Amino acid sequence: MLAIRGLRKSFGGRTVLDGFDLSVEPGEFVALLGPNGSGKSTVLRCVVGLETPDGGEVEVGGNAAMVFQKIHLVGRRNALDNVCSGALGRLPLHRSFFFPQDVREEAMGCLERVGLVDRALDRCARLSGGQQQRVAIARALCQRANVILADEPVSALDPQAAVQVMELLKALAGDGMAVVAVLHQPELARTYADRVVEMKATVAA
Amino acid sequence: MSVTASPKLAVPRRRWPAPVVWVVVAVFLVVHVLAWQATEFSPAALIAGWEGMADFLAESLPPDFSVLGKSLEAAVITLYIGLLGTTFSIPFALALALLASRATTSAAWAQQAARAVLSFLRSVPDVVFALIFVTAVGLGPFAGVLALVFHNTGVMGKLWAEAMDESDRGPRDAVKVTGASGPQIALHAVLPTVMPSLAGLLLYRLDVNVRSSLVLGLAGAGGIGFLINQSIKLFRFDEMVTHILVVLLLVVVVDQASGFVRKRLGA
Repeated sequence: MLAIRGLRKSFGGRTVLDGFDLSVEPGEFVALLGPNGSGKSTVLRCVVGLETPDGGEVEVGGNAAMVFQKIHLVGRRNALDNVCSGALGRLPLHRSFFFPQDVREEAMGCLERVGLVDRALDRCARLSGGQQQRVAIARALCQRANVILADEPVSALDPQAAVQVMELLKALAGDGMAVVAVLHQPELARTYADRVVEMKATVAA
Repeated sequence: MSVTASPKLAVPRRRWPAPVVWVVVAVFLVVHVLAWQATEFSPAALIAGWEGMADFLAESLPPDFSVLGKSLEAAVITLYIGLLGTTFSIPFALALALLASRATTSAAWAQQAARAVLSFLRSVPDVVFALIFVTAVGLGPFAGVLALVFHNTGVMGKLWAEAMDESDRGPRDAVKVTGASGPQIALHAVLPTVMPSLAGLLLYRLDVNVRSSLVLGLAGAGGIGFLINQSIKLFRFDEMVTHILVVLLLVVVVDQASGFVRKRLGA
């Protein structure tokens, strides 16, 4: 579902990734652990195209979505509109000024999956951190992703909300998605992930 | 209790400003002396000529309120010039701002081109635009509206582009990951985020444009500025004071109204 081979990336002469390999099967939940600067986030950002790798191969069998530590919803828009924006990649421009009815229906289904149907018309800025992160996951679902990359999805959340988000990610893996989550909490990683990959800090140049 | 350095510690010596600071100060002073001379700045002349001002004030008071109706009518025209000048520049300013902002346009050449157009429109004063358009459509409010549309497109487009530049990168990245194109990112990440700032800047520009349309009136674009100009030419300073009081009222009302709405927007 996701295969990364020999990924290399450096920023201004500092090598962050030097031949990183990872493959994730459908239905598998992989946790990436490691100190700051070990390139965990960079791996995810290279997969979705937010960074261009210097070398190596990334193969995604389908559609990769990303969930961020800082969530990155448009706070002034409601949850439904934010989830609908996941569909932008398959909408032509002339249909994307106002989200079409079929996309809104699909987005409601995604909100139902994350348990937030009743908050569909609330502005995201008014939701709690945990609810916002679940809306962000619903946006990933609306993208029809089969790979979800989560960059420290629970670092900004309280323990209870963190558990909810982790269980949701686990359940999505159970549905057959490939899930990769960068985590800073080894105990969460051991509890929820099928496999834990530890990354070492590369020697600073 | 007070903290004192132990006597063994060497206190760092006070540092004098670097020589370059002295040079800058000297240049600054020389430029001001030159400016003083070139502008014939002379407090003495002001004091010696106080009688002229006193005469002027004596002639202008009490205000002649018989022209109040005419004055208010003209003030409404001035307001309308400012209003149309602002709203009709919205589509042009928005298009150019979207092209000029780093947040919405990645092609450097397009950004540069849009910025060049905005700079040009901004650097030509609205009065100059008015004089140009008067040659096409004649004296009157319409020339004033056209002048404001052109100048305001330049100013508001730049302000809007800056607001977009400063918008949070996160939602942009998040929407980009979904496979959205540049225009879709602008539509669903940038614009919803910056809308309150854009609306606030729009109201601020409306405020400025209503005041500008007054000056355009002096240049022949109609409205209350035109009446002020007329009163001065006819030495009817008492009428002029009425017009100026109406202008004061207009400016305060527009300023307060736009300030109130901007506060509600939180911009």
